[in-house]
Amino acid sequence: MNRSAPRSIDQYLKALREELAGEDAALIQDALYDAEEYLRAEVAAHPDKSESDVLELIASTYGAPDEVASAYRDTEAKVKAAMTTPRKIPESGAGAFFGVFLDARAYTSLFFMLLSLATGVIYFTLTVTGLSLSAGFAVLIIGLPFFLIFIALTRVVSLAEGRLIEAMTGERMPRRPVHQGLAAGFWPRVIEMLKDPRTWTTLAYLILMLPLGVVYFVIAVVGLSVSLALIFTPLADLADRYGWFDIAGGLNTSPAWLGSVWAAPLLVLAGVLLLTLLMHLARGVGRLHALYAKALLVAPTAPRAAL
Amino acid sequence: MDDSNGRKFQKDLNGGLVGLVLLAILNQSAEDLYGYEIAKRLASANDGTSIFKEGTIYPVLRALSAANLLTSRIVPSYSGPPRRYYRITDQGRSVLAEWTAIWAGTRDFVDRFVGQGHLDKGYSP
Repeated sequence: MNRSAPRSIDQYLKALREELAGEDAALIQDALYDAEEYLRAEVAAHPDKSESDVLELIASTYGAPDEVASAYRDTEAKVKAAMTTPRKIPESGAGAFFGVFLDARAYTSLFFMLLSLATGVIYFTLTVTGLSLSAGFAVLIIGLPFFLIFIALTRVVSLAEGRLIEAMTGERMPRRPVHQGLAAGFWPRVIEMLKDPRTWTTLAYLILMLPLGVVYFVIAVVGLSVSLALIFTPLADLADRYGWFDIAGGLNTSPAWLGSVWAAPLLVLAGVLLLTLLMHLARGVGRLHALYAKALLVAPTAPRAAL
Repeated sequence: MDDSNGRKFQKDLNGGLVGLVLLAILNQSAEDLYGYEIAKRLASANDGTSIFKEGTIYPVLRALSAANLLTSRIVPSYSGPPRRYYRITDQGRSVLAEWTAIWAGTRDFVDRFVGQGHLDKGYSP
């Protein structure tokens, strides 16, 4: 408590970051963003005082870094508890295996797998176009501004992708853009941005989203069509056999025994099992992808702004 | 030791009250407000020092927003990062009404015991 009180906005943010060490990277990003908004507004509201004079009083108004950090921790825990519905899914056995159908995350993850082909194409196109145009424009006067706008755009896209992933998989992702540090001037900021590994990992994520999206999409589509076909073909065949409705030419199966009546329940069973496995797979892919996205899109706790 | 006891009590009390006060402020306000403005309104209502540490309102604002009681939009700012402006939703208003009733009941109940001069007679306003 009696450590030297922060005397500048950067020192305050650094202290807050230290207090939050070990917390979720996304939470830290949000907390720093909020603190910076407040501190800058407070400094701007007192043009007659110096930054260190304003910061001297900050512990009694905004709160000392440790108080603010604990407020974020508490609120986060409460919100998490309130927003996660308690599960009644059995822990083991057949209940756990088929319980995946009661898990909303499995459905949203499956949807994410289907969607990722579309987002992958968009991200890939954006990134490759941006990079090649930047390279092409590099000799021209618009080269650098174009590149900077392109990087800014990738940050917006990465925030949006984070929101999508949190909605689909429940993994906590940033709700605010990353804290940009002091406006130290144009060139220092450009150099800082170029040195920031997150700039490059974000580009890598956006490019890799295309191959990943293709794989996710194929798994989801093949899994869905095969399992649903297995489930419904025998039913359609039975309906056709008993004349409830007519399939032109009847169903042709190969080998022929697949079309026999006794094979029908086995096919339905296989379809149900396959569908269940697909749901498990989707949920697993969702979790893994969220961790992967977090590693590439969210700045690690170690800050580049740590002076 | 006394001081930290008092602080802890205040902090425990504030737990749910911050949300109620924030909803009330946003409900009364004609225009959308951002975090710093709300913090300053809290402070000015209490002679310049807010009962809540102003840093503690931001996570609550985000939590209320995540629960669809508030909506928000981002507006660029000259003095720092873009500001997030908040506005109360219809759901927020109905929750506010419910919480206000709960708060009134709680306050009356507590006052019955700790209100000055009503210790043995029960509460009379």
